[in-house]
Amino acid sequence: MKHLLHIGLAALAIIACSPREHNALQVQELPAIAPDYVGVTIPAGIAPLDFSLPGADALDVQLQAPDGTVLRSSGREATRFHEKRWARLLVKSVGGSLKVTVSGRFHGQWKRFQPFGIYVSKDAIDYGLTYRLIEPGYEVFSHMGIYERELSSFRERPLLENTQFDGCVNCHASRQGKPEDFTLHIRGSHGATLLSLDGQLDAYNTKTDSTLGFCVYPYWHPSGRYIAYSTNTTRQGFHAQKDKIIEVFDLASDIQVYDVEKNQVITAPQIKQSHLWETFPVFSADGKTLFFTSAAQVEIPGELPQSRYSLMKVSFDPETGTIGRDVEMVLDAASFGGSINFPRPSYDGKYLMFTLCDYGTFPIWHHEADLWLLDLQTGETRPLKEVNSTDTDSFHNWSSNSRWFVFSSRRGDGLFTRLYIAHFDENGVAGKPFLLPQRNPVTYYEDLFRSYNVPEFVSGPVPLNKIRAQKLINSPERVPFGFRWSN
Amino acid sequence: MTVLSGAAFYCFFALFYPYHLHFQEQYQLFESTWDYFQSVASLPGGLADWMGRWVTQFFYYAPVGAAMMSVLLCGVQLVTWAACSKRTLLTYALSFIPSVLLLAFFCDENALVGSVWALILSLGAAVLCQGIKKDRPRHILKVALVPVLYMACGSLAVVFVLVSALREGLKYWTWDLSMLLLLVLCVLLARQIFPYPLERLSFGVHYYRYHNLVPFLLWLAALTAVLPAAVSLVNLKEPKAWMGIMVYAGVAAAGAGLAFNAADPTKEEWMRYDFMVRMQMWNRIMLTADKKNPGNPKTVSCLNLALGKTGRMPDYQFSYFQNGPEGLLPGFVRDHTNPVATGEIYWHLGMVNTAQRFAFEAQESIPDFQKSGRFYQRLAQTNLVNGDWDVARKYLKALRNARFYRGWANETLSLMDSGEIFEKRPELAQARDFRLKEHDFLFSDEEKDSMLGLLKVENPGNTLALDYLMAWCLLRKDLDRFVECIGMVEEPMMPKSYQEALLLRWVQTHQDFEGLPGFLAPAHALRINRFIADMKSGKSEEKMRKDYGDTYWFYYYFRYRNAE
Repeated sequence: MKHLLHIGLAALAIIACSPREHNALQVQELPAIAPDYVGVTIPAGIAPLDFSLPGADALDVQLQAPDGTVLRSSGREATRFHEKRWARLLVKSVGGSLKVTVSGRFHGQWKRFQPFGIYVSKDAIDYGLTYRLIEPGYEVFSHMGIYERELSSFRERPLLENTQFDGCVNCHASRQGKPEDFTLHIRGSHGATLLSLDGQLDAYNTKTDSTLGFCVYPYWHPSGRYIAYSTNTTRQGFHAQKDKIIEVFDLASDIQVYDVEKNQVITAPQIKQSHLWETFPVFSADGKTLFFTSAAQVEIPGELPQSRYSLMKVSFDPETGTIGRDVEMVLDAASFGGSINFPRPSYDGKYLMFTLCDYGTFPIWHHEADLWLLDLQTGETRPLKEVNSTDTDSFHNWSSNSRWFVFSSRRGDGLFTRLYIAHFDENGVAGKPFLLPQRNPVTYYEDLFRSYNVPEFVSGPVPLNKIRAQKLINSPERVPFGFRWSN
Repeated sequence: MTVLSGAAFYCFFALFYPYHLHFQEQYQLFESTWDYFQSVASLPGGLADWMGRWVTQFFYYAPVGAAMMSVLLCGVQLVTWAACSKRTLLTYALSFIPSVLLLAFFCDENALVGSVWALILSLGAAVLCQGIKKDRPRHILKVALVPVLYMACGSLAVVFVLVSALREGLKYWTWDLSMLLLLVLCVLLARQIFPYPLERLSFGVHYYRYHNLVPFLLWLAALTAVLPAAVSLVNLKEPKAWMGIMVYAGVAAAGAGLAFNAADPTKEEWMRYDFMVRMQMWNRIMLTADKKNPGNPKTVSCLNLALGKTGRMPDYQFSYFQNGPEGLLPGFVRDHTNPVATGEIYWHLGMVNTAQRFAFEAQESIPDFQKSGRFYQRLAQTNLVNGDWDVARKYLKALRNARFYRGWANETLSLMDSGEIFEKRPELAQARDFRLKEHDFLFSDEEKDSMLGLLKVENPGNTLALDYLMAWCLLRKDLDRFVECIGMVEEPMMPKSYQEALLLRWVQTHQDFEGLPGFLAPAHALRINRFIADMKSGKSEEKMRKDYGDTYWFYYYFRYRNAE
């Protein structure tokens, strides 16, 4: 009983300390909250969008659902919305918008800003995201790993970290967000490609005598039977100028398709041309087309600024694993004056999103990199001005219903990549993106010295047994990939 | 005896091994925040690790660090002795063994201080438990402490289990066995929870900087920490005083021998040079080199930087031992030590991006994934110079949480806010002025001469770049390139080593000295004549070194023979 009394008193003390707006001046401007969540579109299944009000020594925020339900949060640094009440409020606001009224205390004087809306879409979002966290560095890596984030909460859990073995964890790719099927590459002395099929994990050696090297950038066939991979001989260069730091480029690259059932890599001369660099293979939503990017070889490093990748496609027969004979150019890099990277078709088959930068194949170090959209039905392209920023906007992936996409951006401080999620409506228009929510996000991201890499939606928790994965990686045994030429 | 040993430990670290302490400090960034504590203490052995890091931050000042290490090692001895059920002269003498072994362990720069805390906490817990007179509560407390100690101290909690069992005289073997089994269970459970392999969870997550190595000396020290308690069990007659003193003397002598055997003076020398470069003690570097010429490329590169920063490189470079271009601008090595001093050279040259890369890579290479106050400082500086102020602020905010970097970080942030950063920090202004603005290139180890040339061309005031360019050509024995670049030298008096190189080129391409340019002093011409004559007479290398060791000619013919 005594304890209960103590707890009650402590709770009262906390409540008493919470700053509450009083005698506020009404101002006619929108609050400059951080992160900028003003007017964003969010799904109902998203964690609370806590924020700060820079310059204010306290803030008091009221959220109002269309039915009048109110949720309030106040604090000295940032809001801290109650997770369950926030979730209930969003459910009540689906299809409408939350009215957000922000008050801030500046030098002892409260100011109440113009309310703004946060739109709650009817479109559901997937369970979570997977991504890699790594310092945005050069060649050496410190603590890093693949992590899973539940979107409806702040829960993040490591799937695999390099404390478990000596090496680098490369990007995780699942089959259209299906958590049981994924591929994951490990670099270093314990190099391997981990492949999980229906939750069964194995370690593979993806290098064959007939291919260039290890498999690198993966993309699953919708049927789950194939995985398209690039194989790249990648190098880095380091600039002397202040606006450019790192250049990552390929000295050679090809694409190939891995047949999961037959354990064979399939390739064909038309996607393995010696005078071309082919990379970033992806399957269309129906699985009958293989998109990829391709550039004519240039002299490195002298002609690197002339290295521009076009978007190509070739037919693919999922029944036989046959790669079509005719490679067709979809988007000519020359017509854009830039280089196309990371093509990602939406799962509904209507659009293809890509990153455009001035040159090369690694846009993350290019400040000018932006997201573009190709309408696969009309062939029209346009920059995604709704989401692009003045800094790097790069790697992206679609949600399983193609109504959301996640992308990485350096708009915050110019170096550390953060994740943004944007809504994408049935007319192909994107909403204002919002930064992946965190408790006290300004402090969280300020204190985070790692970048988010290769984000991807997953429809449920990834069933990765980390002890089994660790054993597989640390063991020298690898299942070798077979090889066959396409018919 | 304990005080005497403490004084010896202090003297060892403060006088013989101080730069190892500085070295330790620069590979961590101890932040006085709850988040930092949580991130460190949430792993098995985390509390001891955090306490070790807390101590290590004081290594910023070596005498303070030496005092703390001395106190810790004495603490190990005292708690080892306290853990004995029979306190005799013999057990007292034996209780020094773990401290002495730990002293040898800490001669290795990768030994982490958290391990000592783990040992002290484990032994201390055993001593405290023994103070409880009632059997049942004592046994229950001991069992309960096993998982707590595993989390706080890591696998060195086994010392607690063993000492506790020995203190009980192995009478309550079921309790002892329960404790041991519980410890094993803790390790197995930790495997399910923490992302570390079983070996690390069994032998310590963070006792040693390299994860894949088991620190033998530490575990030997842990084993010997149990020894006095074990000896207490044996019914020995009370040894005479002289026997205890003899054992103590033996331990002290063996400890001294072991420590000096484990110590690495070569590394200490390099760490000393690295420290002096960090603190920009250019004259002290040259004074140190005057006493003993450095021989390692890393230390030679520090000396050359000091010569360059004081404007003495063109005249005096070859007065010191030179081991080729690697001793001027060492190539990039993927580890946490090599790029440190090299990054300093690029910083002073104005190659800001390269300095940033070397600092970043050195930090990323720290095997135990810690961050570094020194590297954060450099990264804040390079980002400031590059105009990436948001990124610079990020590093500075982290540095504000670190005791010995807080002042600098706060001052830098206020200077940034007031817009006076480049006025009040001339080092930053110089880097900003020296860095390339018109030309760009991708860094290449093969084209260092071109990069240095561009630095000089874009910034005629960057005399260090010119000194390095000329030295690069000389050390590579590339006299053609040297002659091409000599036009950039604007000094009224041609420096000594340049004159020597030009004279060498002259004698290689001319029959006599007729038409010798006026800026080549006759004294040098006479000397090269003697040098050639002595070479032809077949004088030994040693004799040649005595007569011409300070000349470029000697370097050209007798050093860096890989170039030929």
